[in-house]
Amino acid sequence: MIILETNVLLLLLVAFPIVAAFAGYIIGRKSKKVRDYFVIAVTAVEFGMAIGLCFTSGDFFWKGFVGYGLHFRADGFRLIMALLASFIWLMTTIQSRDYFAQFRNRNRYYLFMLLTLGATMGIFLSANLYTTFIFFEVMSFTSYVLVIHEETPEAHDAGRSYVGFAVLGGLVTLFGLFMLHNILGTLEIDQLAAAAAALPEGSFGTLLVAGLLTLFGFGVKAGMYPLHTWLPQSYRFAPAPATALLSAILSKAGIFGMLVISCNIFLHDYTWGMIMLCLGVLTMLTGAMLAVFSVNIKRTLACSSMSQIGFIIVGIGMQGILGEHNAIAVQGTLLHLMNHSLIKLVLFMGIGVIFLHVKNLDFNTVRGFGRKKPVLMGVFGMAILGVIGMPLWNGYISKTLIHESIVEYIAMFPSMTGMAVFFKIVEALFTFAGGLTCAYMLKVFIAVFVEKNTDPEEQARMDAKKKYMSWPTTICLIVGAVILPVLGVIPHLTMDHIAAVGEGFMHGHGLDHAVAYFSWTNLKGAVASLSIGVIVYFLIVRMCLMKRDITIGKRVYIDVWPRWMDIERWIYRPGLLRILPFVGAFAARAAYSVADVVITGCKRILFYNRPEKFVAPLNNEFGTYNIERKPKRISNSLAYSLLLFGIGIILALFFLLISTLVR
Amino acid sequence: MGILLLIPILFPMLAGIPVFWIHDKKIRRIYVSIMVVINALIVYGFAFLPDTSLTVWTITDNLAVKFQQDGLSRFFSCLIASVWALVTFYAFEYIQHEGAEERYLAIYTMTMGVLIGLSYSANLATLYMFYELMTFITVPLVIHSRTKEAISAGLKYLGFSVFGAGLALIGFFFLQSFSVADITFMPGGILDMAKVAGNEGAVLAVTFVTVIGFGCKAGMLPLQAWLPTAHPVAPAPASAVLSGIITKGGVLAIIRVVYYMVGPDMLRGTWVQYTLLILAMCTVFVGSMLAFKEKLLKKRLAYSSVSQVSYVLFGLFLLTPEGFLGALLQVVFHAVAKNILFLSAGSIIYMTHKTRVDELRGIGKQMPIVMWCFTLASLSLIGIPPASGFFSKWFLATGAITPEFGALGYVGAATLMVSALLTAGYLLPIIKDAFFPGKDFDYPRLKKKEPSPLMTVPLIILSVAVIGLGMFPNGLVLAINNICGAIL
Repeated sequence: MIILETNVLLLLLVAFPIVAAFAGYIIGRKSKKVRDYFVIAVTAVEFGMAIGLCFTSGDFFWKGFVGYGLHFRADGFRLIMALLASFIWLMTTIQSRDYFAQFRNRNRYYLFMLLTLGATMGIFLSANLYTTFIFFEVMSFTSYVLVIHEETPEAHDAGRSYVGFAVLGGLVTLFGLFMLHNILGTLEIDQLAAAAAALPEGSFGTLLVAGLLTLFGFGVKAGMYPLHTWLPQSYRFAPAPATALLSAILSKAGIFGMLVISCNIFLHDYTWGMIMLCLGVLTMLTGAMLAVFSVNIKRTLACSSMSQIGFIIVGIGMQGILGEHNAIAVQGTLLHLMNHSLIKLVLFMGIGVIFLHVKNLDFNTVRGFGRKKPVLMGVFGMAILGVIGMPLWNGYISKTLIHESIVEYIAMFPSMTGMAVFFKIVEALFTFAGGLTCAYMLKVFIAVFVEKNTDPEEQARMDAKKKYMSWPTTICLIVGAVILPVLGVIPHLTMDHIAAVGEGFMHGHGLDHAVAYFSWTNLKGAVASLSIGVIVYFLIVRMCLMKRDITIGKRVYIDVWPRWMDIERWIYRPGLLRILPFVGAFAARAAYSVADVVITGCKRILFYNRPEKFVAPLNNEFGTYNIERKPKRISNSLAYSLLLFGIGIILALFFLLISTLVR
Repeated sequence: MGILLLIPILFPMLAGIPVFWIHDKKIRRIYVSIMVVINALIVYGFAFLPDTSLTVWTITDNLAVKFQQDGLSRFFSCLIASVWALVTFYAFEYIQHEGAEERYLAIYTMTMGVLIGLSYSANLATLYMFYELMTFITVPLVIHSRTKEAISAGLKYLGFSVFGAGLALIGFFFLQSFSVADITFMPGGILDMAKVAGNEGAVLAVTFVTVIGFGCKAGMLPLQAWLPTAHPVAPAPASAVLSGIITKGGVLAIIRVVYYMVGPDMLRGTWVQYTLLILAMCTVFVGSMLAFKEKLLKKRLAYSSVSQVSYVLFGLFLLTPEGFLGALLQVVFHAVAKNILFLSAGSIIYMTHKTRVDELRGIGKQMPIVMWCFTLASLSLIGIPPASGFFSKWFLATGAITPEFGALGYVGAATLMVSALLTAGYLLPIIKDAFFPGKDFDYPRLKKKEPSPLMTVPLIILSVAVIGLGMFPNGLVLAINNICGAIL
C-alpha cells in the first residue's frame, strides 16, 4: 500500500476518459475500426488504473477548480465502486462493438459514453458533496445522449422524462446543498457527521428538510418511488449496453449520494431510517409489481432494477433504525448494491444479444428465442438465480443480510404490539417482493428459453441461428455470469471481505459474529420467497396475464396494467408541463404588462379621438358604406384639451402674480 | 497621468466618425478592427495603472465632469472592451445582409467610447451624461433595419430609457443635497450623516426611485417592457451587445448609486432593500416564464436577459459580500453566455433565415460549431457545472440563504432554482431538436451551412471563456473580492 500526499491516480481515473472521449471522437472521424478498439483500450486502461488504485491511498485536491475545488479520495467503498464501474464499463464497451454495428452516430455514442465514465468516476471517488454534485450533473446530461441514441419517437419521449427529471432532481438537490452548506458549514463528506452531531437542539427540522431535498436528485437517479416514472421507459428505449450502464452503475451513483446523506448527516438516526425504509418498501413493491405486469422483456428488467434498488434502500433505512449496531444492514446494503450491478450487467448484455436478432423485445415476439442456445440460457440462468436469491448464488447472501437486519430489529421488541407489528409487516413485504422477483424472472426465463414462439416459422428461424453472438461478447457474458455463483458459494471468503473493506464509508463496525448464511433459519426465508414466486407465477402470470388469442389459437402475453395507473402521464406531465406553466405564465404576464397597461391607458386617454363613423351611401343600389375620413388632428384629443387647460392655469397664475405685485 | 483616462473614451468616439465615409469594404473592416482592438488594448493597459482621477470641467462647485479609475471601473471597462472587440469581427460578416454597413460600424465604434466613459465616470453627473449618451447612441443600432416594427421598438426603447433616466435624475438632485462637499463616488457612500439625520425616509424614497430608474436599462420590473421589444429587432451583433453589455450599464449605475453614493449600511434592513429584492425576484421569474412561452428565438433570448440580469440585481440588493461576488460573477458570465446565444441565433438567421424555435430541427447537423457554442452557453445560463453560470448562482443562492434574510432568502433562492428550471425548459428543447432530429430525419438532404470563420471564431473564443471561466474562476473571484473589500 503506497500512501501518497496527492494521489494523482485519482485525477487520472476521472480525467483520462474525458480526454480520451474527445480523442476517440477525432479518431472516429478517420476510421471507425480503430476507434472501436481505441475505446475498448481506454476502458481497459481505466479498469487497470482502478485496480492500481487498490494499492494506493490518499486524497487528491484540486484547489480552485469550479471555485471550491475538487476533492477525491481513495478508500474502501470508493475503491469497490470504482472497480465495479470500470469493470462493467469494460464489459459493455466490448459488447457495444457488436451491438452498434448497424447504428448511426456511433461516434457520438462513444464520445458521450466515455464522458459519462469520467463523470461517474468523479462521483464515486468524490470526497465532498460539491464534487459529487458537479459530476452528478455532468453525468445526467451526458447519459441523456446515450438514452436517446436510437432517436425513435419513443426514445425521445423517454429521453424527455429522463432529462426533465434529471434537471429537476439536480436543482432540488442543489437547493438542498445550499441549505446543508448553510446549516452545517461544510460539504466535506467526512466532516458531515461531526457537523450534524454538533448542531443545537431544535434545528433537526431544518436539517431534515435539507436532507430530503438533497435526497431528491439522488433518488431520481436511483429510481426511488415516487420519482421512478422516468425509469421503465428510459431503460427500455436506451440501447442495451447503455441500459446495462444505467441500471448497473448510474443508478448506483444515486445510491452513493443517498449513502452520503444517510450514513453521515443522519448517522444512526431513527426518523431518517424510517423515511428511507418506507420509501424503500414502496420502491421495492412498485418495481416488482410493474415488472410482473410488463409485456416487454427489457421493461421487466428495468422495473426489476427499480425493485432491487428498493431492497437496497430498505437496507439503508434499517441502518438508521438499528442505530449503533447496524453492521448487518451496512453489509447487506453494500453487498446487494454490488450484486445487483453484477447481475444486471449480465442480464442486459444478454438482452443486447437477443436484440441483435429480434428487434422487438415484447414477450410475444421474443418468445422461444433462447431455445437450443445453451450458452445464452446458462448465462441468463445464472443471473436469474442470482437475482431471485437462490441459495448458493450471490443475491441470496445480500438479501439474507438485509432480511436478517429486519428480523434482528423485530427481536429487540419485548412484545408483538405497535411498531413490532409494523416491522413484521415490512418483513412480510420484503419476502413477498422477493417472491415477485422470482415470479417475473420465471416469466422471462420461461418465455425466452422454454416456450415456443406462436409462429412456427419464426421459431424455426430462431432455432436455426447457431452463431448468434461473437466470441468477445460470449467471453464477457461467461465471465460476468461465473462471478455470480462463485461469490455465492464461498461468501465467507469473498463477500465478507468485500463488505469489511467497504463498511467504513457507512460507519459500520464489523459483525459481532459471522452470519451462518446457510443455516436453516436463513434458508427458510429463501424457500418462502421462492415458493411465493412460483405460486404467483402460476396463479397470476399464467392465469391472468396470458390469454388465448383467437386468431392463432395460442396463449399470448397480454397487457392488463391499467392505463390510468401511469402517474407520470396523469399527474407529473400535465402538472409540470401544463397547469403550473399556465398559472405561472398568467401571473408573469400580468406582472409584465403593468407598465404597458399604464402607457396604453395614457395614450388612449390623452390621444382619444372620436371614432370614425360609417356614412350611409347616397346611392342605395350601387353604393358601399364609406368610412367618414376625418383627419387625425391633435385638436380632437384629450391631450389638446389638457394642454389648453394647462395654459389656462398658467395664465391664471400669471394674472394672480401680476395682481399681487401691482397691489 | 489622469489625462490619459480620456484616451479610451474619446479615441473610439472620434475614430468612429470617419467610418461613415469609408465606402471600401476591405479598408473599412481593417480600419474598424484596428481601432477597436487598439482601444481594447489601451483599456487593458490602463487597468494596470494605479487609481487616478481627472476633472475635465467644473461647471459649478458640485457639478463637474470627472473620471476616475477604480476597481469597479477596471472590472467593467475590461469586460466591455473584450466583448466589444470580439463582436466587432462577427458584425463584419453579419451586417452584410442588413446593409448600411458604414453607419452601423461607425456608431458601433463610437458606442465603445461611450461605454468606457460610463465605466470611468467618477460622479453621478458624469455617469448620468454618459448614461443618456449610451441610450441615444444605441437607438440607431436598434432601428438599423428601418422597418416599421424596428422604429416603433426604437421609440419604445427611447421612451422607457428617457423616463427611467428622468427618475434617476430626481435622485441626483436630492442626493446631492444630502452629500458631503465632494460628490465623487466613494466606496461606502458619500452621504453626510449630519444632513441625513431626520430625513432618512426621504433619502430612502429617493434612493428607491433612482434605482428603479436605472433599473430600466437593466430590465428590472416595472420598467422592463422595452427590452424584449427592442433587443430582438436589432441586428444580431447589436442585440448581443445590447443584451450582454448595455444592460450591464444599468447594473453599473445601480452599483454606483447603492454602494458608492448611498452606501449599503444606509439601506440594509430597510423597506427599500426588501422591495428591491422582491422586485428583482419577480423579474427573475417573469423573464424566465415568458421566455419559456415565447416561440421566436431572439425574443426568447431577450426575455431570458430580463431574467438573468435580475439575478445580478438580486445579488446586489442582498448587500452582503457573497451576494456582491455572485452578482459581479453573474455580470461576466451572463455577458459571455448571452453574447454567444445571440450570436448563434444571428448565425442561424444569417445562414438559413430561420427565426422560430420550431424550425430549428436538425440545425445542429448543419451548423455543428455554432450549435455546440449555443449548447455550452445554454448550460452556463441554466447553471450546470462546470459551465460558468453554476458558480455565480452558487454564491447568489448561498448568499440569500442566511439567517439575516429569513424566509425571504429561501424564497429568493427558490426563485433562482425555479428560474433555472424554466431556463432549462426554454433552452434544452432547442438543443435537443438541433442535434437529435429523430430517426426519420432526412440526412442525405442535409447541407453543411457553417458560417465563415469571422463568425465562428468569436463564438469559439467566447465558448472557451464560458467553460474556462467556470472551471477556473479564481482570478475573477480575486478581482471582485478586491472591489468588494473596499465597500463591504
